[in-house]
Amino acid sequence: MSGLKLRNVRKNYGSLEVIKGVSLDVEPKEFVVFVGPSGCGKSTLLRMIAGLEEITAGDLEIGGARMNDVDPSKRGIAMVFQSYALYPHLTVRENMGFALRFAGVSKDQITKQVDDAARTLALGELMDRLPKQLSGGQRQRVAIGRAIVRKPEVFLFDEPLSNLDAELRVHMRIELARLHKALAATVIYVTHDQVEAMTLADKIVVMNQGVISQVGSPLDVYDNPDNVFVAGFIGSPKINFLKGVVEGVSKTGVTVTLPGYSDAKISFATKSALLVAGDSVTIGLRPQHFNTSGTLKFKLNVELIEHLGGESFVYAGNGGGELITVATQSGRGLKTGEKFEARIDPAKALLFDQAGQRVR
Amino acid sequence: MKLQILKRGWVYVVLSVAAFISVFPFIWMLIGSTNTSAEILKGKTSLGEALTNNFTHLVEQVDLAMLFYNSAKIAVIATALTLVISSLAGYGFEIFKTKMSERVFALLLAMLSIPFAAIMIPLFISMAQLHLINTHAAVIIPTVASIFIIFYFRQATKSFPSELRDAARVDGLKEWQIFWHIYVPVMRSTYAAATIIIFMANWNNYLWPLIVLQTNETKTLTLQVASLLTAYTPDFGVVMVATTLATLPTLIIFFTLQKQFVQGLLGSVK
Repeated sequence: MSGLKLRNVRKNYGSLEVIKGVSLDVEPKEFVVFVGPSGCGKSTLLRMIAGLEEITAGDLEIGGARMNDVDPSKRGIAMVFQSYALYPHLTVRENMGFALRFAGVSKDQITKQVDDAARTLALGELMDRLPKQLSGGQRQRVAIGRAIVRKPEVFLFDEPLSNLDAELRVHMRIELARLHKALAATVIYVTHDQVEAMTLADKIVVMNQGVISQVGSPLDVYDNPDNVFVAGFIGSPKINFLKGVVEGVSKTGVTVTLPGYSDAKISFATKSALLVAGDSVTIGLRPQHFNTSGTLKFKLNVELIEHLGGESFVYAGNGGGELITVATQSGRGLKTGEKFEARIDPAKALLFDQAGQRVR
Repeated sequence: MKLQILKRGWVYVVLSVAAFISVFPFIWMLIGSTNTSAEILKGKTSLGEALTNNFTHLVEQVDLAMLFYNSAKIAVIATALTLVISSLAGYGFEIFKTKMSERVFALLLAMLSIPFAAIMIPLFISMAQLHLINTHAAVIIPTVASIFIIFYFRQATKSFPSELRDAARVDGLKEWQIFWHIYVPVMRSTYAAATIIIFMANWNNYLWPLIVLQTNETKTLTLQVASLLTAYTPDFGVVMVATTLATLPTLIIFFTLQKQFVQGLLGSVK
């Protein structure tokens, strides 16, 4: 399996720049997930890697070779599409062997490779069916099978689970993770679903407005977001952002007050010289980080509770219009309108400057 | 509830009348082919016993086999060529869109508004210069790039999933292979519907063949059926038999491709 390199890759449609200089290294056998909101450019970037969109500027390397102008079929990639893109007039077997047929592979070899892939994906009974005779999950497996048969250097997945129902999505997610291990394949996977990104990825690439906002392991991106966008996009329920003001700056850190919450104070150990007293900042508090022993306290009124069974999401405010989301496992007894004290360890708070960049 | 039944009843009445109006000429033609000319002129509406007689008279007057051959040759070749050329053009206009291609397409659509009568004479002169007058090629060539069929295929191509084309490109197919191995089979119901439309248009084509086909050996069934009416005392029984025979191929084509025809009109790709 090969790795892949993007160097300052750009894509323009006329005067509109949609990919604004992306550089990224994908190691061999790595599972990399591009995640971001709709329109952030993640699918366009994947299509550029596949060769389905021209690269306006920059370089793409797969396995050490420059691939900018190479035909999609000769890049050593295979792609699984959101709508499966199975040829409706061909059986499962014909769909899976289609690329090999056009690559001039012998019939015996095609049969062998298709049968091997069918065994891997347990497609045995479906081989003579047409795509319209398959369920969504089965179609997805065939689409993956069609990719496997080609023995590519890099697998590209473009939101492959988004057409499946919730239960099947979870099942296929596990299947994909299992398959990645079994094939030891390099995978680039596009999704807007952060749960898929967190559970599948070795490396998450968070994209926003045509640029990479952050690259890192799932937990690294979750625990140490580089900016407000990443902090807001990764994590469910969404992180709480509270307005704060820098009260004081010392050699060891800064103290921030939260005017909306009885001037609660949080100290951050940071050597950043960028902040000065009086600066507006943003504090990020993950709903899951609230507990019963934290020293930073918020006195709130419960406005809405969502019980998920194992845990509850409490949406509470202090009358200022801003709601804080608290994920708790002891929220079953709470009622709307009740007073509620949310506590959190101040060390878990994230500090962002006025521009939305993390202050560490 | 009663109001609903009444409303539905009216719908059925209107639809029945419309269906009768549509089918009546066909039934009249079938009944007429079994009656003598005198019986037809009297307005007889029941089946008669003159079918064999009418058919014999028809065969005596015209070379039926040759007429069928001429009509079939023109209709089949024109249909095949129109399908290939117009579907390629429709596919191209939709898939490889550029500002210039959009302008060309708009110009083509504008040309739809020009009546055939307006281009008849220049077209005749062109065919004469190509020495094609009184040949079947002169009938076929002007029809094969049909603007309406190009438009029809372009509209149908909008429902052709772009991801299929992407998948085919990743699978290593060249553009013509994508068209031949993916587009054509996926859009087969569109092709079926177009086949019926084109075949019927060519089989029934009258005005242009009347102008360019000048000897009996090259004439089509439609032309000869029409010429039967130009006699001093036309034998309407014979005309009805000839018309029934001329209608049969289009009926066979239609009923063979009926299911795909409906699918083609509804949209090819589900």
